[in-house]
Amino acid sequence: MIRDLVSALDYSSFAELALALFVIAFATMTYGTLRLSKNATDRFASIPLSDEVEDPRP
Amino acid sequence: MATGTPTNGPDDAALSSDSGTEEVRLEQFQYDDGIVRLFATATIVWGIVATLVGLIVAVLLVLPSITGGLPWFSFARLRPLHTNAAIFAFAGNGIFAAVYYSTQRLCKARMWSDVLSRLHFWGWQLVIVLAAITLPLGITQSREYAELEWPIDLLIAVVWLFIFGGNFLMTLIKRRERHMYVALWFYIATIVTVALLHVFNNLVIPAGWFKGYSVYAGVQDAFMQWWYGHNAVAFFLTTPFLGLMYYFLPKAAERPVFSYKLSIIHFWSLVFIYIWAGPHHLHYTALPEWASTLGMLFSLMLWMPSWGGMINGLLTLRGAWHKVAADPVLKFFVVGVTFYGMSTFEGPMLSIKSINAFTHYTDWTIAHVHAGALGWNGFMVFGMLYWLLPRLFQTKMWSDKLVSLHFWTGTIGILLYIIPIYAAGLMQGWMWRAMDDTGHLMYPDFIETTQSIVPLWWLRVVGGVLYVSGMLMLGINSMMTWMGRPAEYENPVHTAPRLTKTYVDHTPTPTSAIDGAPVLELGKKVSVWSQMGWHRRWERLPVRFTVFTTIAVVVATLFEVIPTFLIRSNVPTIATVKPYTPLELAGRHIFVSEGCYNCHSQMIRPIVSETKRYGEYSKPGEFIYDRPFQWGSRRIGPDLAREGGKQSSFWHWTHFENPENVSPGSVMPDYGHLLTEDMNYDAIAPHVKVAAYLGAEYTDEELNNTAEVAYKQAEYIAADIVAQGGPAKAYEKQAVALIAYLQRVGVDLFATEEPAAEETAEPADTDTESSEETAEPAVEEAAQAEHGDGPNQDAFVVN
Repeated sequence: MIRDLVSALDYSSFAELALALFVIAFATMTYGTLRLSKNATDRFASIPLSDEVEDPRP
Repeated sequence: MATGTPTNGPDDAALSSDSGTEEVRLEQFQYDDGIVRLFATATIVWGIVATLVGLIVAVLLVLPSITGGLPWFSFARLRPLHTNAAIFAFAGNGIFAAVYYSTQRLCKARMWSDVLSRLHFWGWQLVIVLAAITLPLGITQSREYAELEWPIDLLIAVVWLFIFGGNFLMTLIKRRERHMYVALWFYIATIVTVALLHVFNNLVIPAGWFKGYSVYAGVQDAFMQWWYGHNAVAFFLTTPFLGLMYYFLPKAAERPVFSYKLSIIHFWSLVFIYIWAGPHHLHYTALPEWASTLGMLFSLMLWMPSWGGMINGLLTLRGAWHKVAADPVLKFFVVGVTFYGMSTFEGPMLSIKSINAFTHYTDWTIAHVHAGALGWNGFMVFGMLYWLLPRLFQTKMWSDKLVSLHFWTGTIGILLYIIPIYAAGLMQGWMWRAMDDTGHLMYPDFIETTQSIVPLWWLRVVGGVLYVSGMLMLGINSMMTWMGRPAEYENPVHTAPRLTKTYVDHTPTPTSAIDGAPVLELGKKVSVWSQMGWHRRWERLPVRFTVFTTIAVVVATLFEVIPTFLIRSNVPTIATVKPYTPLELAGRHIFVSEGCYNCHSQMIRPIVSETKRYGEYSKPGEFIYDRPFQWGSRRIGPDLAREGGKQSSFWHWTHFENPENVSPGSVMPDYGHLLTEDMNYDAIAPHVKVAAYLGAEYTDEELNNTAEVAYKQAEYIAADIVAQGGPAKAYEKQAVALIAYLQRVGVDLFATEEPAAEETAEPADTDTESSEETAEPAVEEAAQAEHGDGPNQDAFVVN
């Protein structure tokens, strides 16, 4: 039955669906990233510069 | 900071708190730089080995008989050793050195388990040594960059996923730095994705300790292999190196990364996009058109995030370019990142179908991968090592001048390598497809196209010598630096509070900007969600972050894998395509073991110049019994997809004895050992049994009396060889099996199906045998009709 079901499925739109999924995920992540404050990103970016813990932590 | 013994236990009391609400204890810890020293040393040692073997295979192309016909040192057996050594030994150990050094410092924590760290190191070196032994012995899967056989694959899975991955993830969980810096994201993506790729590409059914047959066949096997192959480049040679760049470049430049936001966008884009791009390695092959197009589109999109990384790397040096002029470490990084930009522009360009049709199978691809490997991977590792070594060995570099000399020697070496090989690729592309006014190939003799580029191959050798010289300078400099180390390494003790289990976020709770506005509550919730506080939480939660990264990779994979495996129309079956006979299967095993795929493709694309040169283009249904597929990725010799029946069996015998005898000017080494080593007929049975288990139809006779069946076919071929003027008793030698296979390749398509009436005359349980028997003469007819001068295929019939 599963074999019949799988065989009957229409995969023809997978490529378009995949592209749409990527665009949505990409747009969401870009939007979210651009909303990060400069203060936060500056602190994150400076993490590798010191081998000691900066306190207070971000 | 102090030097001494750490106290990392619960007794280390302190009063500080990072959240303000929960009292936490200060903990003392030391970084484990011993493991970094081990991996850094292994990187240098294997780097020298990998580039030396590369130089040897470059020489073997221009002087194929220099090794005197020793089978263990043929080009086709050593080339996989070179690629594996460069990727997994040199780059791999470089990655681990970077990960162990940077992860501890980014997490403000020692690696979770010193024992696992050491097991990782020695386990990985064991894998490399086993590869160095098995590949020259011809023990290979023949899947590019995944050649190692299943027992070693199991070891890799354990070492990579459970030992390395487990230790890394536990270190993240036990870290003392709340935010996971972007370099760690790249490491997470690397560990997760490489594990997935490795496991699913290497699913095999063993036919003994040294041989496994892929559960995938033909088109699906090709798809899985290049899903793996492309993403091995992506997640072994790109993401961990970006992690390396995001840590060591700011360290060396002493300034933060140019744009942290860009690093986030660029990370997720790469993770989302890379996994789709594999099919661009299979344009115009028997892969379904839609998969090929999807691969091309996503490959083109890869250009954006890749250049995002390059720009971020180079602009990190803004205001510090004066340092680049004086600091060789930064010089290595700048050239490395520049090569990354060049390679990641070129990669999408090569994925465009019309361009790919020209460049695929040519040396252009070789130049492309070496620009990436020597320029991006090599120079990033060198930059990292020259920054690390004085810190690891706690002394000055032995010779700064030698570092500079390495930089210039390496840079010129890369250019001298890639420029001639780009030119060779262009020449091959043009010569292979060049037609005269009458519509005939201008260079119908393949060897003519090879001979034209031999001078360029010599220039590559010169470039290779320079690059290897640079590696040796690194080796000497690091050894002398190590000799100047202190009697005892200082190991500073660091102090930091443990992270509280409950994190109190001091940032204000997000509120909607549209609070109070006359909109639905849903709208306000969306407004809050869109402020992305949830992503900030992910960045603090390693397990959740790992899970989401895995989902991103798996979803993308499934979108391509499911249709490829399930749409029946993707692989239309061809009634006349039958399983290989036991002897042919044994011959195919020899073909695989000798690494013939390194020079010969078995895939004729539907391009006029190819069909004129090689014959009818390849169909998906022709490969359903091919485990593994043998489509290849470059043509140092001609395509073999329609080799069956093209030459006599004695021609092949003579060709193995010395290719120059029948193909003057050939760069193929001789395979004389196949003419002298005995054929072990008793060893064929396991291969046939596994092939049968995987769906190939074999008769009881073939399954139960495999050796006798194979021997009979060998006798017919041997008689054929004698009739054509060859030596007697050829059936005793391995060459006979390989000849059987080569005479079978690509002929089934032209066979005619036996009328049903004859099948009814056979016993019900031997109907497959009957179709096998009756198909063969049809194969012969078709092959002879196609090629005119084919040998008597009737001699191969299994009676």
